[in-house]
Amino acid sequence: MTARPHLLHQLVEAHATSADALAVTDGDESLDAGTLQHRLAQMAALLQELGVRPGDRVGIQLHCSVRAMVAVHGVLHAGGVVVPLDPDAPPAYVADLVRRCAVDTVVTQLPAARLTPLTEAGVRNLVAAGPIDGVRTLTWDDLERLDPIAPAHRTGDDPAYVIWTSGSTGRPKGIVHTHRSGLRCAELTVDTYGLDPDDRLACSAPLHFDQSIFQLYAAPGAGAASVMLPAPVLRFPASVTARLADLGVTAWYSVPSLLVQLARRGALDERDLSAMRWVLFGGEVFPAGQLAELMRLVPSARFSNVYGPAEVNQCTFHHLDVPPAGDALVPIGRAWADTELRVVDTDGYDVRDGAGELWVRSATAMAGYWDDEAATEAAFRTVDGPGGLTQRWYATGDLVELDERGALVFLGRRDHQVKIRGHRIELESVESALAELPGVAEAAVVPERLDDGDRLSGLVVAEVPVDPADLVARLRTLLPPYAVPHRIRVVAHLPRTSTAKIDRSAAAALLADLDDDALMETP
Amino acid sequence: MTREQLTDELVDLISAEIAVVDLDIDADTDLLLTGAVDSLGVIRIVDWIEDRLDIDIDPADVVLENFISVAAMVGYLGGRAAVVAS
Repeated sequence: MTARPHLLHQLVEAHATSADALAVTDGDESLDAGTLQHRLAQMAALLQELGVRPGDRVGIQLHCSVRAMVAVHGVLHAGGVVVPLDPDAPPAYVADLVRRCAVDTVVTQLPAARLTPLTEAGVRNLVAAGPIDGVRTLTWDDLERLDPIAPAHRTGDDPAYVIWTSGSTGRPKGIVHTHRSGLRCAELTVDTYGLDPDDRLACSAPLHFDQSIFQLYAAPGAGAASVMLPAPVLRFPASVTARLADLGVTAWYSVPSLLVQLARRGALDERDLSAMRWVLFGGEVFPAGQLAELMRLVPSARFSNVYGPAEVNQCTFHHLDVPPAGDALVPIGRAWADTELRVVDTDGYDVRDGAGELWVRSATAMAGYWDDEAATEAAFRTVDGPGGLTQRWYATGDLVELDERGALVFLGRRDHQVKIRGHRIELESVESALAELPGVAEAAVVPERLDDGDRLSGLVVAEVPVDPADLVARLRTLLPPYAVPHRIRVVAHLPRTSTAKIDRSAAAALLADLDDDALMETP
Repeated sequence: MTREQLTDELVDLISAEIAVVDLDIDADTDLLLTGAVDSLGVIRIVDWIEDRLDIDIDPADVVLENFISVAAMVGYLGGRAAVVAS
C-alpha cells in the first residue's frame, strides 16, 4: 500500500499506479500516467546533472503544455522550488524575478536570443531547445539517455513554488506556497467539485497564474487527465471550443473574460460540449447577464464561482444552479473545507451587518512573500488564541458582505488593486513605472471597461514633449502585457481630490473623452 | 482588390497597429508562435477585415489555422475581396 501523498509530485506518482491512465494531452502529444512519472523522474535526473539541489529555485519559462507538466513535477521531484516565468513577459521583467529568487537553472523552449537577459541575471544552467553559448545547456533530447532518479527528501513545509504578483511599491511580490498548501488546495478542489478519474480537466491559465493548479495538481490528484491548450489556440475562441469538444473536456476553469469570448465568438452552437459537467470561473467579476447567456449555451455544465487571492489559493466557492437574474452580483459564496473566514472593520472587529474586509485562515495559505519579511508581516494579522497560541489571518484587502442567503458578495477593494483579465495589478506599480520613463513627471492609471474586457489606460504629465505611442512601447519592455496601458493621454496636470490624492474617477472621465483607440496628445 | 494589395494592407496593419513585439513581419510570419498577435489583436484584425471588405466573418471560421499568418488569412478570405475597390 502506498502512503497518502504529502508532496505535490506524489500526486502524479499515486496516479501512476494506474500506469495506462491518460495523464496529460495537448491533442497532439499524450502521456499516460506511467510515462509521465518516468519522464519527470528523468527530468529530475537531468536537473541533478545540472547541479540542482533540494531547495534550489528553478525557473520554468514554458507555456502550458505536456512538457510544462513534465518540467514542473520534475523540478519538485528533484527537490527544487518551481518559479514559473511568463514566456510572454519582457526579458527585463523576467530577469528581475530571476535575480530576486537567485534562480540558477531555467527550463525553457524560447529561442537563444530571448535568453541573454536571463544569463546576464545570473542563470548558469539551461534546459533549452538547443545549445546556448556561455551557459551549460542540456536539451530535451538529453532526457532520453538518463535513468530516472528517486525523489529528493522533502517535507510538506518545504517551499514548492513561487507565484509573482504585482506590488503597490512597483516591485512584484513572490507568493511562496509549500507542498502542504499547494497539495491541500489540489485536494480541496477534487473534493469540492467531486472530480474523478473519468474527468478531463482544462484551464486557460499560464503557469505563472495560480489557476494553473487545476491542471498541474488537481488533475493528477483526481486521477484525471490534464488537457493542455497550446498558447496560440487560446487566442481563438472557436479553436478553444473545438478542442474542448474533440478532447471531451469535462471540467473547465478560466477567467470570466475568456468565457465571455467563448460565448460570443466560440461558435458554441456548432460544438458538442455535452461532456462538460463543470465550468469554474474566477479571478474577476463575471457580469451576470453574460454569465446567464453562457449558462444557456452550455446546458450540461454546472457553473461555480471561485474566489481566493493567490496568497491563500482558493478559499470560497459558489455553485450556480440557475442563471443569475438581472444584473445581480454573483456571490463568491462560502468557505470551502479547512478554512475560516471573518468579515472585519478597519479595527479588526467582526462586522455582523454590512461591508467589511475579508480575513482568511486556511490550510491553503502561503508561507509568506519571498525574501520580503516586511510585506509578509503586513499581509497577515496575528490574533491571540487560547493556550498562548496565535492564529494567523490573511487580510485580503477585499470588501465583502453577506447576502440574505448567507453567501459572501465581493464589493470591491480597500486599495487600488484591479484585475485585468484575472491578472492582479496594483495601479501604483504601473504609475511608478510610467513616471520613471524619461520625460514623464507624473502619471495616473485607471482600468477602462471595453467591449472585449478591461484594459488599463493612463494619463501622464510630461516635462518635455513625449509621444504616447513611444511611452507604451517602452512600458512593453518593462511590464507584462496585461499591465501595459492600451492608450495614454498627455495632460497639463493630473486631476486630484481635495486631499491631493489622484482622482481616479476624474482621470477615467478624461480618458473616456477619447472616443477611439488612438493614442492622443493634448491638443 | 488583388491578393497582393490585401496582403500588403494586412502586413502594414499588423506591423503598425497590432503587433505587441518588435518583429519584421511578412506574409508568412507565424503571428501566433512569435507572440506578435495577442487575443485582442485577433479581434482587431477580424474587425478590420469585416470593415475593409464589408463582409461578415463567421465566428466558427476565426480559428488558428485561418489566422496563423497573413498568407493564411488571405487564403481563407479567398475571392471575397475581389469586389472591393483598390
